[in-house]
Amino acid sequence: MSEEIVRAEGLKKTFTLSRKQQKIEKTGETRRIAVDGLSFSAYRGEIYGLLGPNGAGKTTTLRMLSTLIRPDAGDAFICGHSVVKDPAKVRDEIGFMTSELKLEGFFTPDYLFDFFGAMHGVEKAVLAQRKRELFSKFGIDRFAEVQVKNLSTGMLQKVSLVIAIVHDPSVVIFDEPTNGLDVLTAKVVTDFLSELKAMGKSILLSTHIFSLVEKLCDRVGVIIDGKMAAEGTLEEIAKGDLETAFFDLYHSIKGETV
Amino acid sequence: MKLLALMKKEFHRFFHDPRLIITMLLPGLVIFLLYTIMGEAVHTEPEKNAYKVYVEGDSSVTAVIGSIIEARGETVEWVLLEDREAARKEVEAGEAAAILTFSEGFDDSLVDPAKTDSVVSILYDPMDEAGSAFYALAVGLLQEIGMKFSIQAESVTTTDGIGREIMQQILPFIVVCFVFSACMSVTLESVAGEKERGTLSTILVTSAKRSHIALGKIIPLACISMLGALSSFLGVVLSMPKLMGLSLGMLGGYSFGMYVLLFLLIFSFVPLIVALISTISTVARSVKEASAYTSVLMILVMVISLVTAFLPAIGNWVVAIPVLNAVVFMQELLAGSLPVWQSLVSVGFNLLYTALLVFIMTKMLSSEKIMFGK
Repeated sequence: MSEEIVRAEGLKKTFTLSRKQQKIEKTGETRRIAVDGLSFSAYRGEIYGLLGPNGAGKTTTLRMLSTLIRPDAGDAFICGHSVVKDPAKVRDEIGFMTSELKLEGFFTPDYLFDFFGAMHGVEKAVLAQRKRELFSKFGIDRFAEVQVKNLSTGMLQKVSLVIAIVHDPSVVIFDEPTNGLDVLTAKVVTDFLSELKAMGKSILLSTHIFSLVEKLCDRVGVIIDGKMAAEGTLEEIAKGDLETAFFDLYHSIKGETV
Repeated sequence: MKLLALMKKEFHRFFHDPRLIITMLLPGLVIFLLYTIMGEAVHTEPEKNAYKVYVEGDSSVTAVIGSIIEARGETVEWVLLEDREAARKEVEAGEAAAILTFSEGFDDSLVDPAKTDSVVSILYDPMDEAGSAFYALAVGLLQEIGMKFSIQAESVTTTDGIGREIMQQILPFIVVCFVFSACMSVTLESVAGEKERGTLSTILVTSAKRSHIALGKIIPLACISMLGALSSFLGVVLSMPKLMGLSLGMLGGYSFGMYVLLFLLIFSFVPLIVALISTISTVARSVKEASAYTSVLMILVMVISLVTAFLPAIGNWVVAIPVLNAVVFMQELLAGSLPVWQSLVSVGFNLLYTALLVFIMTKMLSSEKIMFGK
């Protein structure tokens, strides 16, 4: 087996429910466990998918791995750096993409690439070389000087993806990479992920789309109610049809059919 | 390097957007134009005066002045001066326009260029419409004659004194208001706006230190706000004498040290306000929410800058009270005194509070509840 590059050990995260949330969900509980002792490993050069329904804890897990939020218990290690003890080093090792992270519309892709390169401490000469390569590879050089606010969704997605890997990270983390995208833009993203894999990057993504997992992922972890319900290669988990396997698993854990 | 990149980004955002530059500098220009026009309108409104002028000594100049006044459709009553004190009181009360005093044999100087010891003096009230109009007319005529006599003008009130008093009362308040609005216009958008749009989170995912992100906002925003504050300050200062019907020359009556301390107070006050609004904007979930909080803060700042006259009991501790310290010592400076150490200590306190706010903002940027809480 290749080198372990991401290791989550008993990650736990609890959130306080506001009165409004309690009312909406018709519950009296004030705390909600989003992630409950989650452990898994991802290896160099593979695409690892976290599969689960909405509210299962996928986004919270990825946010903990990208150091945006701290786990209440447990720890995770990216390239050997602890997300709890050494978040700055973790941030230099990862590229994080989520629909919640936006680029300022006023600036051009060219400016933003340089800016985020500087934010990650990339040397100017290296940055210029990398910009030439990536902009050319993904066709961004055609609109490098157009303000981000004037770009189409597909163009913007390409820029966001390229900026996420400006510092040549070892691990790329994507939260719901194709969620809400039209078919053309979704294709841009999936092609990009395949390119990254070809470049030797390790990719960790969360999704609730079975076809995306089947198309891209080498291994998958199924999360239900913040816990790891199953983990392994597609063959190990699905033995044929992933969708059927997932709902069987869901039924066996929740005791209810969807 | 990361801090520099963050600062450059803020400057780039501002200086490459003409709309932002105009928004920032326009208030100063508008204030200047508006106040100047208002001043012109108030002080140049043509009014038909009926002058009562006391005359001491004899001169044919009075006949010439009288004919000009009558040609303007106005009237003049020449009264021979008998009791100078009583006449002065009439001038002070606005009942008489002026006291015109000619030295003996004044008219000789009109025909004999060799006679240079003649004097004409005018006592008038520059704040009185008729007094100042008569003064302008008489002096204009005498200067036109261009002979070698001297003109002495005496005012029953000191124009600069009045100007200073009004400037002292109003200027700090106006400066504080404009500084605050200058800071507000750029800071809310840059901090709360970025948080609302999700672009601040994109920076948080990088390895840039939270303190650098806070400083990378506050330093450039303070510099930009200072430009706006300077524009507004100059607009107010240059137009206020005009608004009050005074000469711009009164601004030259203040010492260089006064101006240095005044600018130091303003320049320490700007980063403090920027840091305060940045911190509030970091807590707020949207620009709208941040605007609401900041509006309350602005009212508080305005009230503080207005009530200084009622807070003498604070004594020297005023140096430690933000906003109040700047207003109080700006007032003292404009009143003509030079409270050097108090002003410098106030500047020190303002910078200290700014550093404290940078620290608080840094902590907030690290707080997942504040940055990512719903």
